[in-house]
Amino acid sequence: MKSRLRVLRAERDWSQAELADRLGIARQTVVALEGEKYAPSLPLAFKIARLFNATVEDIFDPDPTP
Amino acid sequence: MKNPVDTARRRYVLELTAGMLAYAAILIASIHALNAGVPAPWRLAVALAPVVPVVAVFIAIARFFGAIDELQRKIHLEALAVAAGVTALLAVTYGFLEGVGFPKLTAFATYACIMLCWGLAAPFVARRYK
Repeated sequence: MKSRLRVLRAERDWSQAELADRLGIARQTVVALEGEKYAPSLPLAFKIARLFNATVEDIFDPDPTP
Repeated sequence: MKNPVDTARRRYVLELTAGMLAYAAILIASIHALNAGVPAPWRLAVALAPVVPVVAVFIAIARFFGAIDELQRKIHLEALAVAAGVTALLAVTYGFLEGVGFPKLTAFATYACIMLCWGLAAPFVARRYK
């Protein structure tokens, strides 16, 4: 799952800890999401999208098929 | 802004520590009372008294699972699955060894083993998501 989370966070000059606090999740979870090691559940994906005033598709994208 | 997962972790460590201390205290008191000769109607209650803090520890674990986020929950559930598997394997293996003269272990060993394996497995499972 491709993620633009790191870019969006950097645009707002938020630290990983600050983003974690705003989402109510652990900083390790932010690391996993940004590192594309974990695909969020739908509720968390929508929560993230709402925080950035974006759609889920703006932030997360399935791996492009070859 | 307080992070709810960090708060849940701190609360869990506090509750777990309090539960284990209570367990040790009640266990020692229970053993002393049984050795001193508790009247028959109370023997069962006194013998089972250490279960109360164990139940409290399980409630603390359930509260911890309810308060952490979805990835942390997944990591701990995977670690618990690994712990259950390793404990089952060790229990069966040691069962055969008891058949050839190894000292008999009580069922308490499985509880200690699963908790220890959970603690050891969690950091390894978490590495997959870093």
